[in-house]
Amino acid sequence: MDMLLGIYGFIHDERLPQRTAPQKVNIEVEREKKWVKMLAHWDTPETKQKLHRRIYKGIPNSLRINTWCKLLQVNRIKFENPGKYQDMLKLGKLWSTDVRQIDSDVNRQFREHQFYRERYSEKQCALFNVLCAYSIYNSEVGYCQGMSGLAGVLLMYMDEEDAFWALAILLSDKRYAMHGLFIEGFPKLTRFLEHHDKILTKFMPKLKHHFDKFGLDAILYSLKWFFVCFVERVPFSLCLRVWDIYLLDGERVITAMAYTILKLHKKAIMKLNDMDLIVNYIQVKLHKDFGYDDDIVIYHLEKSMEELRRAKLDYPGPPPPNELPQRMLGVFVEPDKKSKIGQRAENFSETEKQTRANVILRREKAALELQELRVSQSDTVSEHSGLTGGVRCDDSVSGLGSRRSLADTSVTSTADLSVFSSGRSHAPDNSLDTHSNVSDDGTGSDG
Amino acid sequence: MTTAPGGTNNFKVVLLGEGCVGKTSLLLRYIEDKFNDKHLTTLQATFLNKRLNIKGKRINLSIWDTAGQEKFHALGPIYYRNSNGAILVYDITDEDSFGKVKNWVKELKKMLGSDIVLIIAGNKVDLEHERTVPLEEAESYANMVGAKHYYTSAKLNQGVEELFLDLTREMLEKYEQNSQTEVNRTSQVLVVDDETPVQSSCCSGTKSN
Repeated sequence: MDMLLGIYGFIHDERLPQRTAPQKVNIEVEREKKWVKMLAHWDTPETKQKLHRRIYKGIPNSLRINTWCKLLQVNRIKFENPGKYQDMLKLGKLWSTDVRQIDSDVNRQFREHQFYRERYSEKQCALFNVLCAYSIYNSEVGYCQGMSGLAGVLLMYMDEEDAFWALAILLSDKRYAMHGLFIEGFPKLTRFLEHHDKILTKFMPKLKHHFDKFGLDAILYSLKWFFVCFVERVPFSLCLRVWDIYLLDGERVITAMAYTILKLHKKAIMKLNDMDLIVNYIQVKLHKDFGYDDDIVIYHLEKSMEELRRAKLDYPGPPPPNELPQRMLGVFVEPDKKSKIGQRAENFSETEKQTRANVILRREKAALELQELRVSQSDTVSEHSGLTGGVRCDDSVSGLGSRRSLADTSVTSTADLSVFSSGRSHAPDNSLDTHSNVSDDGTGSDG
Repeated sequence: MTTAPGGTNNFKVVLLGEGCVGKTSLLLRYIEDKFNDKHLTTLQATFLNKRLNIKGKRINLSIWDTAGQEKFHALGPIYYRNSNGAILVYDITDEDSFGKVKNWVKELKKMLGSDIVLIIAGNKVDLEHERTVPLEEAESYANMVGAKHYYTSAKLNQGVEELFLDLTREMLEKYEQNSQTEVNRTSQVLVVDDETPVQSSCCSGTKSN
């Protein structure tokens, strides 16, 4: 088998599709020239005017590093905090209680990328350093799994110190506010998932119903969408395009991209009648092959953003105070005795209990809605599913009123039983057991 | 619900345990028979499938792997709901990871009662000389809570096959008991005849992506 280095540095064991036609290369060269000019005149009205359109077309890979740094204003925060990174790193190496987890995750992050392939390579060490320093810089977060993915991508383009500050901005700047994703109880995840479910209910009730039918909570397929902005969930070239736009437009992009992915693949997902198959499709298949050209996806992403904006569903609102850093960033807090000796918590904290209650409640609510839907559906005469082209959404009537095909209704009948017959009070969640079929295509075994 | 001839039993199994105790390694050893210390972090639960035959019955296991960092344990219910079996993994050289197993047992008992088959796995026996979790303690604890205890090494491929095989046998037994005693209740496992897949009724004639 050929070992090939892709343009983004990943090592592939198959021939890559040759997709860049000569005229496309020329266009790329022309675009780069324009970008160089624009970067030289960053803080001008002309740039402001052109930036949106050009970023949605994709930042030329050779200029990504400069552009990302400018979008995140890395230089500003770096110059405002001279020597800070080195201080944090020094303290981190002495005090951080997260080093074990960080080291173990560095060992597992992007190992198929040329930079991270060798254990203790320069970039692996840089990744360790950035995360170690950050765990001291932001003592409320410390280190949370997922952050190695963010820092890992940043370090593909930036040096250590820039990547540290870029990560700091992604977590604490209001435009991205990822802090709330990584703190105890993941409050921002809960809030964004609820919003995501609301969007599904409004625009794709059939798909939402399909997920609920198999007891598929959005966490099971979308955690990485929210935590690491689609890293390892869509092909890397597309992921970078989404990052370009995320860095420009912030949080709304994640919500809209989540919607776009499901919109583009709704038809295929609706055919999968098993939780495992659906999860495998969304997590594994779409990472390997998204099935649409990057440009087309971005076109739909932009349309989704508009569509959500019109429906006032583009943004779940600004972060409440508990999702933002409460403690001063960059101030060293000595870890308490418990975390120093690595003692684990006996019980869940109040925040964690809340999170648990939330996830359980969400499933119960979905089960209940499904039940109501079934009841009302049994009176409804159904016709056709009204779908063309694969990227259109359901008639945005509420799930209760939407039309369903007879075939669809007959398939759901196996799951009906499990919903109505659930009587186990200690495990309300189990009411949605629906491993209703077996397929023979070795799902997931290639993961 | 009875097992149709030629039908396949689907069981869901969830791997739980602290970070770095070797959950993913156990899974990879079992499914792909390889040990790889370069594997990916399990941030999001992922699963692998395994098909096997026991007592002439076709079984499909879907084994779910979970994130180990303590912060993620609050999301536990999402991962273990609907599971027929749970493998609680600890590292024999790390006492705290054994403590965490006890927490999981408590939680699973509370949430799922005896509906779930529990297995405790003391992993990394290749590091026997660094053992800190006493043998007797682990085994008697497992006994007390009605879980089977196994010693495993994903690295040396010890005990892994046996663990999954026994777990599957127990899940099958439990399932058969349940379907005998509660004929009318929809069981945790739906058995579907391979020859007539249910989904064909809605898929035929539509083109795939």
